[in-house]
Amino acid sequence: MTQTFIEILRRALDEELARDKAVHLLGEDVAAGGAFGVTRGLAQKHGETRVRNTPISEAAITGMATGAALCGLRPVLEIMFIDFATLSLDCLVNQSAKYRYMSGGQLSVPMVVRTQAGAAGGAAAQHSQSLEAWFIHVPGLIVVAPSSPLEAYGLLKSAIRMEDPVLFIEHKRLYTMRQEMPATVELPPIGRARVARAGDDLTLIAYSAMVPTALEAAEELARSGVSVEVLDLRTLLPLDMETIAASVSKTHRVLIAHEAVQNGGVGAEIAARIGSELFDELDAPVTRVGCPFVPIPFAPELEHALLPGRENIVRAARELLGTQG
Amino acid sequence: MTGLLGALCRIRQFELQVQRLAAAGEVPGFPHLSTGQEAVAVGVCAHLEPDDKLFTGHRGHGHVLAKGSDIEATFAEIIGRDTGLCRGRGGSMHLVDAERGVLGATGVVAGNLPLAAGAAWAAQALGSSNVSVVFFGDGATGAGVFHETLNLAALWKLPILFVCENNGVAEFTTREEHSNVSKVSAFAAPYAMPTKTIDGNDVLVVHAAAGDAIAAIRRGEGPYLLECMTYRMAGHFVGDAQQYRSKEEIAAMREKDPIERLKRNMLAQGVAQSEIDATVERAKQDVLEAVERARAAGRPAPSTVGEYVYKSASLDGISG
Amino acid sequence: MARVALEIPKVGLVMEQARLVRWLKNVGDTVTQGEPILELETEKSLVEIESTETGRLVEQLLAVDAEVHIGDQAAWLETDAASSAGVRAGSLPAASPSAARGAESGAGNASAPGGAAKSGGATASTAPSASAGNAAPTSAPRSASVGGAAPASAPRSASVGGAAPASAPRSASVGGAAPAIAPRAAPNEAAASTSARSIPPPSGTGSANARGATNAPPTRIMCSPVARRLAAQNGLDLRTVKGTGPRGRIQLADVRHAIEAKAPASGPQPLSSMRRAVARSMTISATTIPQFIVSQSVDWTAVQAKRTELNAHLQHGAPKITVNDFLLQAIARALLTYPALNSTFRGNPDSPDAAIVPAQGAHIGLVVAVENGLLVPILHDVQQLGLADLARRRADTVDRALKSRLKQAELEGGTFSLSNLGARGPDRFTAIVNPPQSAILAVGRQRDCVVAINGGIHVRPMSELSLTVDHRVADGRLASEFLRYLVEILEGNEWRA
Repeated sequence: MTQTFIEILRRALDEELARDKAVHLLGEDVAAGGAFGVTRGLAQKHGETRVRNTPISEAAITGMATGAALCGLRPVLEIMFIDFATLSLDCLVNQSAKYRYMSGGQLSVPMVVRTQAGAAGGAAAQHSQSLEAWFIHVPGLIVVAPSSPLEAYGLLKSAIRMEDPVLFIEHKRLYTMRQEMPATVELPPIGRARVARAGDDLTLIAYSAMVPTALEAAEELARSGVSVEVLDLRTLLPLDMETIAASVSKTHRVLIAHEAVQNGGVGAEIAARIGSELFDELDAPVTRVGCPFVPIPFAPELEHALLPGRENIVRAARELLGTQG
Repeated sequence: MTGLLGALCRIRQFELQVQRLAAAGEVPGFPHLSTGQEAVAVGVCAHLEPDDKLFTGHRGHGHVLAKGSDIEATFAEIIGRDTGLCRGRGGSMHLVDAERGVLGATGVVAGNLPLAAGAAWAAQALGSSNVSVVFFGDGATGAGVFHETLNLAALWKLPILFVCENNGVAEFTTREEHSNVSKVSAFAAPYAMPTKTIDGNDVLVVHAAAGDAIAAIRRGEGPYLLECMTYRMAGHFVGDAQQYRSKEEIAAMREKDPIERLKRNMLAQGVAQSEIDATVERAKQDVLEAVERARAAGRPAPSTVGEYVYKSASLDGISG
Repeated sequence: MARVALEIPKVGLVMEQARLVRWLKNVGDTVTQGEPILELETEKSLVEIESTETGRLVEQLLAVDAEVHIGDQAAWLETDAASSAGVRAGSLPAASPSAARGAESGAGNASAPGGAAKSGGATASTAPSASAGNAAPTSAPRSASVGGAAPASAPRSASVGGAAPASAPRSASVGGAAPAIAPRAAPNEAAASTSARSIPPPSGTGSANARGATNAPPTRIMCSPVARRLAAQNGLDLRTVKGTGPRGRIQLADVRHAIEAKAPASGPQPLSSMRRAVARSMTISATTIPQFIVSQSVDWTAVQAKRTELNAHLQHGAPKITVNDFLLQAIARALLTYPALNSTFRGNPDSPDAAIVPAQGAHIGLVVAVENGLLVPILHDVQQLGLADLARRRADTVDRALKSRLKQAELEGGTFSLSNLGARGPDRFTAIVNPPQSAILAVGRQRDCVVAINGGIHVRPMSELSLTVDHRVADGRLASEFLRYLVEILEGNEWRA
């Protein structure tokens, strides 16, 4: 029997609340189930002190999660939309990420900030962004972006067990994805990418909702004889260059795809690293597929025209391989 | 009272030494001195246990010392030595002494408020009787997060004492210039929080008021906002020429110097002048000796610059 | 203003001829001393030749793809007199350079102005020996601008035919030649019988240069990094590869295609540079070096224990210590204990100046299999290295060997090589000595063997070591003592970490 991303994630939180008394959930509407229903029922089950609603005060609740993490709790804070993480930035960047360093190792911040990103039809410019690139720029943070319900389940549990602050970025379009939960799930390590599909001709690097899209593109390319290896990064910071290197040394061609704006996106960092560390393996320049430099529009036709999808990846891959069309 | 006097003098002497060494170029960055505001730190911290959590801001040397941090280690941190509290990573504005509950000074005005509330939340969630104390200046009340935090603290009945040192200036502008609300305690009422405004330069007054507030908090009555009117004797930071104050202003405040006032009080209560002088002298010596030891210590090795970014061993030395 | 001729210098120990792959500078370009000016492919390597003069390239005398020989004039440079004065002063012979050359080489090569090269194999007969030319060819060192050929003094920028005594008088393909050739000095020259040949018409007429007409300015070869690497490893000239990538870029598929095309499935297959070099070297070895073999087994127990111990305490990022590192250190110690074996034989047995030349320090070659061939980079002064440092050096050297990035100096100077075919190798094998070295150790694969120790039966991890030795340098007794000592070290416990 399959379950949705939301149900599976809820199960992860439920199990973690039961496993470790230090785990506390907080966020706007979290006790009532959260904006997307992820936390539904958890306050009733684990108590209102373990799962707490907050007012609309991103700055304060991020600070409180951080302060509590300094004092023995393992808070899991929900920031409804990554677009609002802008309000959490002072704390995340100036406090959470740096507390351990500034204190010379005396303290650490074992907190998780759950948020979600991406466009899903009509949410428009302030509720559809993918801002993960800002956070890979901050030493002291960890950034995770799961690509499926099972990945999210395992990665969230791994994130909650980390001793440092983790930004856990879910995706709107993945919330309805269904998967079947196996009896046991091995927890994937933070910082290790996975090969979602093996191939020989091209390395296609993606994360979050772009992974299913990349797999679709790989399937289409396979029908014309092109063998694509799809890498699901899972963790954006730290970046798993080892897995990337193994793949690039095999295929010699790289395409990076993400929904976020291409300019200054995570793909830019990956491309730069590949260019400098794997130069001799390249048979072609590293190519990126990302969102053009435009805010996400409201009308569906416009939004659809803007966001990179399967066709963009297939086209870019064919160009990269020197076969047009 | 002798204890209070000693604590006040240690802080005063400490700040004088910081000022002296800063003028000589031995202090990196811009230390912010709390000269003249010692009574607030000492009066409040007298009621705190090591497990109570203290947060402060960029002007936090006095609070850190009053909470019980080692003078040498604190000074060493301010002059960037490896023996400093934070091994030279934090400096004046980011003093942390976790063992003694000093969870930190932070250089972002008002940034410490929600951190302190979080610590209070943790105490509440873990069922301990610890309280959280956060010191901030009147300038912090301009920040949105100040109001967010007061709201949340009151709503969740957090065991936190907000101590505002209202010295009438924020950076280089006076209070009248950035708020219509001249008394910070006025902000408590909207959040249904108990509050009091007191003379922050009388350590006995502070001691008494803080004692009541902290006792109430420990009884589970929720947060408290204590406003201490005081005066910043030195500039905003070392090097600040204080052009925004008149000579008369400055002379008047010397009259209100907390140390002088306590001495007068002690004499009035029959304490011998010799004992007072001895206390003052001992405090001075303690500080001077600690400062010299701090100065003699080694500096952090450049090869260690990458340590302490993450706690997880698997993230040691990553470049991103 | 003076005109200076740039000559093709000798590259490596056994260069007989080479091919001009491409010009790196165009006619009219300014060239500075030490700047690469053209690229040659020799039997062993792809090499950049540097100019020894600063000036303006006024004429290219050799065409791309031309077969060139040592001493051939490749180009004319116009320098200002002052800069070549110093050089000119010292090295001008009385006789016409061309005459001198003609006498020596007999086949009057190169001196002909337009006379681009051609004629006769101008082999440097007096090749300074000693340089440990490795049998193993290298298509690797791209910028060995030679002159490194003169082993004694490997002046990098000597596109100095100075290496070959034969071309000494003109040496300096530099200033030395200049005066003789400079138009102003022409009158002196005129007397020489070959002057007609030696003085190029200032205008550099193409006529005399049947093949030396100025070339079209070479365009940059657009090639992807991985394709370039594969081509280099296979001694493939990129100019012969058709690129099918964007803007004509050569891609991996194109190089693979070209390699396959070069080696048709059936019929006689022309030799690549690397294969030719190996063939030559091994033939020299087999025909001129009398070799014998001594063998012994070694028990790896002690080495394995030590290796596990050391690798458990490695510094972050340090390469793991391998059995080869232990072998190298042991060989180094043994070589220093038996200096007679740490030597090379010079000359031939009949010549009066034949000698056994001892080496200073242990310089050991390590046989590395690369695509389509092998390379034997030399690790110099192994006796100075502890195992951790040795591992680092070895890993770096092998890595560069695989990427065709070895320097010329790393291919010379060894007396002894190590060949370990690893776990997939045979139980035992013998290797052929790499001239001009004196010995080579072949290591068979490790296997668990039943051995008798003190009357008891034990199972131990063992290998067969076969040591091939040049009988002109050492005889059986020395060789077997050396081998025995080597095995003692390997089975012992004294290692320098």
